[in-house]
Amino acid sequence: MIKARNVSLVYRDGTVALQNINLNLHQGGLFYVIGPSGSGKTSLMKLLMGMEFPATGFLEVMGQPIHKRETAKIRKLRRDIGPVFQEFKLILGRTAIENVIMGMRFLDIPLQKARESAKNALVRVGLEHKAFTLVDKLSYGEAQRVAIARAVARKPALILADEPTGNLDHDNAVKILKLLESFKDKSTTVMITTHATHLIDECRSATLIHVKKGEISIERGGEQI
Amino acid sequence: MKNIGYFLREAGKIIRYNHVSNIFSLLGTGLILFLLGLVVALWGVSSQLVGMLQQEAEISAYFSSQLEDPQDIINNIQLIDGVWNVRYVGAEEARARMENILGDESYVLDLFEKNPFEPYLEIRIHLDQIDSVLQTIKNLKGIDYVRDNREVLEQIKGVARALEILGYLVIAAVSVTTLVIISHMIRQGIFHNRDQIKTLRLLGAPDSFIGFPFVLVGFLLTFGGGLLAAVLITILINRGYGQLGGTLPFIPLPSRDRLLLGLITLLLSGSAALGILGSLFGLSSINKENHG
Repeated sequence: MIKARNVSLVYRDGTVALQNINLNLHQGGLFYVIGPSGSGKTSLMKLLMGMEFPATGFLEVMGQPIHKRETAKIRKLRRDIGPVFQEFKLILGRTAIENVIMGMRFLDIPLQKARESAKNALVRVGLEHKAFTLVDKLSYGEAQRVAIARAVARKPALILADEPTGNLDHDNAVKILKLLESFKDKSTTVMITTHATHLIDECRSATLIHVKKGEISIERGGEQI
Repeated sequence: MKNIGYFLREAGKIIRYNHVSNIFSLLGTGLILFLLGLVVALWGVSSQLVGMLQQEAEISAYFSSQLEDPQDIINNIQLIDGVWNVRYVGAEEARARMENILGDESYVLDLFEKNPFEPYLEIRIHLDQIDSVLQTIKNLKGIDYVRDNREVLEQIKGVARALEILGYLVIAAVSVTTLVIISHMIRQGIFHNRDQIKTLRLLGAPDSFIGFPFVLVGFLLTFGGGLLAAVLITILINRGYGQLGGTLPFIPLPSRDRLLLGLITLLLSGSAALGILGSLFGLSSINKENHG
């Protein structure tokens, strides 16, 4: 699913965001990328989405070599990814269901089926009653759930959620994490970044990817790998 | 095709977002396309006039009074390349023609004791070969003098040529201006929708999906301008034909229906093509902004 060998990410201003990252993550897993703010979690997500390219090393996501910078192929790869962005990136002036359908319009899915998937996804995130409400009028938590519905409605192979618990209180944050975890199955990998490690203490089935000062270490079932 | 409704709604949204600029773009495009139609119409009329004059181009050859039978010269002239008809005009016919031209003043011809006109040959030629034909006829034995109306023909040709050049210039100017206006409108639309475009890219949408509503906007704005220009030019030509036909009946106007059909086809197809092209120019800026 995700293979990284000696990957480094250096931004244009010279900041080294990640260095010598090595990963070999299998399909159908649940992964938490954890670490303090500014440690490189979002940078890792950007690399996996092809929004940034490695300065060095080899990075492959679902068979697509990101380091080769083939933008057209990366665009295709993104159709198999369900991203939940930190700032949601919903399309304003549209209803919740329109936003969810928008993520499927350019896929090879008939419109009727896309509508049904969108509706089901909104039911799954508990927002069916807000389907026809403009996203501009939704609360922070509701908007986040629309973003999750958009990510999962198209049944991606990889769900990438960047700091989904950002501004939520403890209970809502746990609910969101549980919701995201529920999408994990044999064919769907879920990767969540968060700096709130206390929220995931109970989740022992997850693989934890610790990011600290641009370097990573992996822990599974409480053991360092 | 499943997204056609979505594309139309998006195009409508982009137009509404900046509706004042878009209305002025449509009007501006309409007016410059109208200008194009006007110049092309004038070009068509002048080409028709020149074509007709070229067909009517003739020279007059006067032969020596000692020549008893001009038939040999007529035969020789008919063989010259560029000559398509030679006709003998006798002295009496020449006088009758002049009487016809003078009308009420023709009595002045009665002041002459004898008919002052001489017989001559009326030679119809292909205008583009006038120089060689003139030279050959002048060199024929028995020909005293050749009169041509080349200066007038050259002037008319010059006017037609100037209109043709003006036509090309106007076509170039209209094309460039329309492309600039439309690509600017599209860039504005892209700027206003930059967040949505970025999100769609991150979701994996292809450029064709992202760009199609903008192409539609360019097409609709310019085609709207083309329609406006077609309506204006139709009104103008219908009125112009009504007036010119009455006051200047000697101007050989091309068939109104054919002229209008040609102009409307040009304006609508040209505006559609320019709209799509302008949008594509505008869209090319997306690729420069963001690699993702």
